[in-house]
Order: sequence, then C-alpha cells, then structure tokens
Amino acid sequence: MKNILALLRRFYLFLLFLALEAVALTILFRNNRFHGAEFMRHSSDWVGGIYTQRAQLSEYLRLGEINDQLSLENALLRSVAQENYWNLRTEAATLQDSNSVQRYVYRTAKVVNASVNREKNYVVIDRGSLGDVRADMGVIASGNIVGVVRSASEHFAVVMPVIHSDFKASVRLRKSGAFGSLVWRGGNAQLADVIDIPKNIPVAPGDSIVTSGYSTYFPANIQVGIVEWVDDSDNDYHLIKVRMGTDFRKLDHVLVVSDIFKLEQDSLLNKVEEQDAANSKR
Amino acid sequence: MLQTVSVNIIRILFLILLQALVVSRVQLFDGLIFPWIYIFGILMLPFETPRWLLIVFSFFIGLTMDYFSGPIGLHTSACVFLGFMQTVVQQLLAPREGYDLTQRPTVQRMGLAWYVTYAGVLTLAHHSWFFFMEVFRFSDFFYQIFHLLLSSLATLILMTIGQYLIYNSKGAQV
Repeated sequence: MKNILALLRRFYLFLLFLALEAVALTILFRNNRFHGAEFMRHSSDWVGGIYTQRAQLSEYLRLGEINDQLSLENALLRSVAQENYWNLRTEAATLQDSNSVQRYVYRTAKVVNASVNREKNYVVIDRGSLGDVRADMGVIASGNIVGVVRSASEHFAVVMPVIHSDFKASVRLRKSGAFGSLVWRGGNAQLADVIDIPKNIPVAPGDSIVTSGYSTYFPANIQVGIVEWVDDSDNDYHLIKVRMGTDFRKLDHVLVVSDIFKLEQDSLLNKVEEQDAANSKR
Repeated sequence: MLQTVSVNIIRILFLILLQALVVSRVQLFDGLIFPWIYIFGILMLPFETPRWLLIVFSFFIGLTMDYFSGPIGLHTSACVFLGFMQTVVQQLLAPREGYDLTQRPTVQRMGLAWYVTYAGVLTLAHHSWFFFMEVFRFSDFFYQIFHLLLSSLATLILMTIGQYLIYNSKGAQV
C-alpha cells in the first residue's frame, strides 16, 4: 500500500510536469511564426520601458564614439550636397529636374534592444506605425545594411537583422556586378555568407559586396561588407564569407528606408505572375 | 514563511533582470559561451518547498524570462524540465537521514561536492533542453555540444561564486 502511494506520488509529479511542458511547448510552437509573441513581448510597455532605459544608459556611455560617427556621416553628406558642385552647364541650373523623382525616404530611429548571440536575433527600434515605420522597410546604419522591419506596433518596430537564420537579401559584387544571396548561418555575428555566385566569376578577399536594388527593401549599392575569404570546395558556386560593415553589438542610430515605389513594383510583378500562372494552366 | 517566499521572489526577479540587462549582453568568444544564470533562483529554493510548487514556480520563472528574451515558451519549457529534474535529483542525492527542511541547497550546508553534483546535473539538464529546443538541428553538432558544455560550466562557476557572495560561512543568508 505504502509503495503504491509512493508510486502515485511520483506519478502525480510527472503528470504535472507533462501538463506544464505541454502548455509551454504549445505556446512555443504556436507563436514560433514570429508575429504573435515576439512582437507582443518587445512592444509590451513594461519590458520595452526597461530596455529603453538600458539603451539610454549605454548610449550615454558611448556618446563620444556616436558623435564621431555622426559627424563623419555629416561630412560625407555635406560633400555630396548640391551646392558643393560647380555647375559647368549654365542652362541646366535648375534643381527641379523632372527626369528624376524621389524614390526612397529615410527616417531616423534608435535601437532600444538587440540580440547577437542567438540563432534568430532581433533588433527593436523606437519607431512604430505612428512614425510611419511599417513592415518590410529596410534598415541601415552608417551606410551599411542592418535588416528588414518585420512588424511594428505604435511606438516600436521589430527588425529582422542580417544575423537571423531566416534572413535573405539580394546582393551583388561591386566589381563585377554578379549577384547572389546574403544569408547568415549562426555563429560569428560579424561574418555572413554570400551564396549562389557561380564559380566562373572571380571573387577575391577584399572585394566589396553591396545590395543589388532588386528587392524593394533597400536602394541599390548600400554597403553590405567586405569579402573575408572564399571557399571553392563545393561544386558549382562560391561560398563567400563576408565581414559585415555593421557591428550588431554596437547599434545605436539607424535609418529606416521606405520605398515609395514599393507598392507599384510589387503589384506589377504580382500581376504578371498571376497572368503567367493563368496562362500555364490553360 | 512569508519572508522566505518574498526573499526568493525578489531574488529571482533580480536574477532575471541581471540576466537580461547584463549577462546576456556579454559576448564571450562570439557567443560560444552563453551562461543562463537566472536558474540560480530555482536551484536555491529551500528544501521545504513542496515539489508541485517547485514545478509550477519554475513555469512562471521561465515565462517571465521569456518576456525578456527568446520566443515565448522556450525558457518556460526548459524551466519546467529543470523544476521536475530538481525534484528527482534532490531525491537521488538525499542524505541517509533525509534533508533538514530548514536548510537550503548551499555549499556551506551541504558541502562543495554535493553542491557541484546537484547544480552541475541540473544546469546541464536545463541548458541541454534549452539549446536543443532553440537550435533544433544537427548540423554543427560538435560545435553545439562544445557550446553547451562550456556554457553550462560558465553558469555553474558563476552560481558557485554567487553562493559565496550571498551566504556566509554558516549558510545563513547575509
């Protein structure tokens, strides 16, 4: 009798364990498709508030470095401003050029929380839908790509950075123009992989990798990083390791890029794809 | 009684904040070593805690940690596993005359060998569950194992140091 009771006692703990574990795993796998929990957590007021405080402290401690970065960027921008250029042709002096219209808009944001040690890392910024930041906008820092906004609440947005195992972006070699895909497979937060570049295209350490501009997330020619080494042991394609220009451990000020033509480009592509699908069915 | 409960809750909240705001930000060897020290709060629960309460409590500690880090449910599942294992390990390691229920699982009361076995097994259990649930793939298998062992070791060392900081030589709380 005593033994049966002891058995039941142990069994009841095990049942409790199974029940709670079932609850935990259900939450985990139901929310794993990102939108629910990840978003709710980072945007929930009290956790967001605590992380904002921490970000403010660490930003204050690094003010000097941040100032250097910003003034460097200011100098760069100043040097490309219109009034620095001497106009050779007087008849073309107008700036209201109807040949070009603005395509990309940049908004500033500050990073309130970021992870670098995980397989699926996230960056949270302090701009949300009230600041016109929405899903699928690109994020860059000091001219280097950071990631893509995945979802936004009113005051915060969650960015999927390059160092997220599901991230993929279209990039190309600055020198030859050949394009491939940028992915990250865990491990070092500074090194990403570029795949799908065929072997007949020469690649050497030190070459620049930039965005291709094919996707609507980023403008063309945003710096991604520098080729660190190339592994050709695989059969058809280069495996290129890229040292990224962004230091994800030290993100502070970022720019959110939105593409004014995004809707137009995407809907046009969708229309053609639908037509093709309809044609092939017939 | 009330004091014991509140001390433990405050300690756990402090450890979770320490984990989220400080320890998780430290990157050792490109993330090769990643200790989860907040489980110290679960390991240090007194022996008199009812075992069902230990498991339920672990569930909520994991849930709180999830609010700070990782997809919701990840730490929760690892902590429930830890809580269950803790009841098993405490039974396996029980002294012949049983535990003195007013004691706590500290180095000072139970001895260093006992503590390292107790905390080592449980840390490894928690970390294994956590890392395999998080990564869930078998590429880079040896890297993952290395990562797991080094992280567990780091957690164990940090917790043992923490022991000497929190308790005095008689094992009473400072």
